[in-house]
Amino acid sequence: MATDSGAPSKARAWLFFIAPIVVLAAVIALFVSTRGAGLNVEPAVPIETVQFGRTILRPGEIELHLRNTSPQPITISQVSINEAIWPYTISPGRIIPRLGKAVLTLNYVWVQSEAYEITVFTGNSIPFTASIPVATVTPNASAATLWKFTLIGIYVGIIPVILGMFWLPALRQLGSRAMLFLMAATVGLLIFLGIDAISEALEIGGELEDTFQATGLIAIGIVGTWLLLQAVSRRQETIGRSAAGQRMSLAAVIAVGIGLHNLGEGLAIGAAYAVGAAALGTFLVVGFIIQNITEGLGIVVPIAKDKPSLRTLAILGLIGGAPAILGAWVGGLVSSRALSVLFLAIGAGAVFQVAYAIGRKMVWTTKAADEMPVTAFAGVLAGMLVLYVTGIAIK
Amino acid sequence: MAAIGLSLQSQRVTTGPNTGPAELGARGHATMMPSMDGEVDHVKNGFNPSALLTDFDAGKISTLPNGQILHEYTFVVKNQMIEVMPGLEFAAWTYNGRIPGPTIRVNEGDRVRVELLNASDHAHSIHFHGVHPGNMDGVFDARSGVVAPSGKYVYEFDAEPFGLHLYHCHTAPLAKHIAKGLYGAFIVDPKGGRPKVDRELIMVMSGFDVDFDGKNDFYQVNGIPFHYDHKKNPIKLKVGELVRVYLVNTLEYDPVNSFHLHANFFQYYPTGTSLTPSEFTDTVALMQGQRGILEFSYRYPGLYMFHAHKTEFAELGWTGVFEVEA
Repeated sequence: MATDSGAPSKARAWLFFIAPIVVLAAVIALFVSTRGAGLNVEPAVPIETVQFGRTILRPGEIELHLRNTSPQPITISQVSINEAIWPYTISPGRIIPRLGKAVLTLNYVWVQSEAYEITVFTGNSIPFTASIPVATVTPNASAATLWKFTLIGIYVGIIPVILGMFWLPALRQLGSRAMLFLMAATVGLLIFLGIDAISEALEIGGELEDTFQATGLIAIGIVGTWLLLQAVSRRQETIGRSAAGQRMSLAAVIAVGIGLHNLGEGLAIGAAYAVGAAALGTFLVVGFIIQNITEGLGIVVPIAKDKPSLRTLAILGLIGGAPAILGAWVGGLVSSRALSVLFLAIGAGAVFQVAYAIGRKMVWTTKAADEMPVTAFAGVLAGMLVLYVTGIAIK
Repeated sequence: MAAIGLSLQSQRVTTGPNTGPAELGARGHATMMPSMDGEVDHVKNGFNPSALLTDFDAGKISTLPNGQILHEYTFVVKNQMIEVMPGLEFAAWTYNGRIPGPTIRVNEGDRVRVELLNASDHAHSIHFHGVHPGNMDGVFDARSGVVAPSGKYVYEFDAEPFGLHLYHCHTAPLAKHIAKGLYGAFIVDPKGGRPKVDRELIMVMSGFDVDFDGKNDFYQVNGIPFHYDHKKNPIKLKVGELVRVYLVNTLEYDPVNSFHLHANFFQYYPTGTSLTPSEFTDTVALMQGQRGILEFSYRYPGLYMFHAHKTEFAELGWTGVFEVEA
């Protein structure tokens, strides 16, 4: 009896599941076949958008990567550079399908460090302009440039983070209140970094075409990373480790969060070098070095009372700093705005989760409960102020 | 389209290896001129700038009872897509399907009768430079020659004074109506004609604001940017030939246009209202509506550029070449 009625009810469930989809398809078909229910939804002029990607400069040549982000194919007709019509080649062809990519090449004798503006006209006389703020030969992925970007990553990421960890012996001398202050400062630091990363992501996202939905990308990056790290740290706790083990895992999570943040930082620096902007000042790198030394401190604060081995410390330092190298590679050699937005959002999600984890730990474990509000307040604010002041050097 | 693609491919120049930035200036300058690849479709456009160069139109000629010579024209205004650069379509407005419109050429004191038929969806008019009654001025309303869609009007007046003039639409917004293509040359020869020359050419200077942002994207003489370029359709002359150029500036949005002749000088007759030249020069500047007549001959064979000496205009299309043969 039970098996007899089981099959039809399952079929019924499927039917109820499918029916709205079928009706929906019918409604869409009706809307399309009546040309938008009588509204003339055809635009008077085709809507055309072009997203510029990488610009590669070689001696006597400018290569422009572009993507058609409009709802229909577009045709590239004419190109002008600094108010002069210029011959060009385009591959694979002048007609670019929706979301298709094309590479446009100009044989143009550009001048080192000068600025250029390239206007691309479509067949419907719609212009799109790409800017080259500072012309310089674009680094390509040779071993030499890879090493250069690796060096930038080491300077910006690994060295300052590990230097910051050298405060560990000094930390051991501190009382519980001072430790609490430092933990709070780490939280402030992380909140500041997270907000900074979001604002950066929004700024880059603003240059993205609507098709990429920058805001949605940022939300996915933040929420996804937060939940992932949350799940990982929960698992660590439920395994039932010792208190020391839990402190170590907190340090590890902080290192991961800071590492993801440094990935975004490396990305920004790499991209700046690729477009020649960083050639205007090594100030940027110096600023990041100063700022990042505080990150190393943040990692070792939870394990200050333990005796971590040098190897453990080195691994933590690498987790925190090395992603800057990867970021510099990607930023300098790939330079995708959508990828940059996603990476920055992942970094933001990571540091927020870590800030939350530390905060929770502080509330639950501190013994000096009475002193906590004032010390925590001062610590969080101090952490944020340190980054604000060191940030002045970068902006 | 395919032909354009092919010619684009053949344009590619390989870049040598190990060329540092320091060497950039030394290489390839001679071959690197702003220009365009391919040609526009003149047949589809309905006009060819090479033909416009010498297309003087005396209209339908007859004699009035009082002995006066009558020149009759029919102008049709319409909306027209023009391929202004290869692959680039511009929503233009035209007189008789061409940019610039027909070059009216009559003698001083002749009667001119121009019937305007409006086949477009906007009101238009013809405003002639010259001396005529107010109701022939094409400015204010239907009674003075502004023609509603599907309407018509007949402009009629005596041609005076002699000189080189122009006509254009004078319907608001004025700059737009002119910039979209409604302009042309109006030549009034003195009684008995100008002194004989070997060749006469018309050059109407203008620009195209293809994205309608109030700034020109392209510049040209006789409708198509770069048309008379040395790789395309240079204007052929002979050594010693006396050449007369009727030069009219109808450029909108930019305040000043100019004409510069390479490796030569010309006699210049501003507005063509005198038979005595005012200047012997190689460069003249003209504001909107200004025009003048140039006379010169080449002493040596060769390729000689003529272009706006506002060089930005030249690199955006207002450039051409005289190919002078022995």
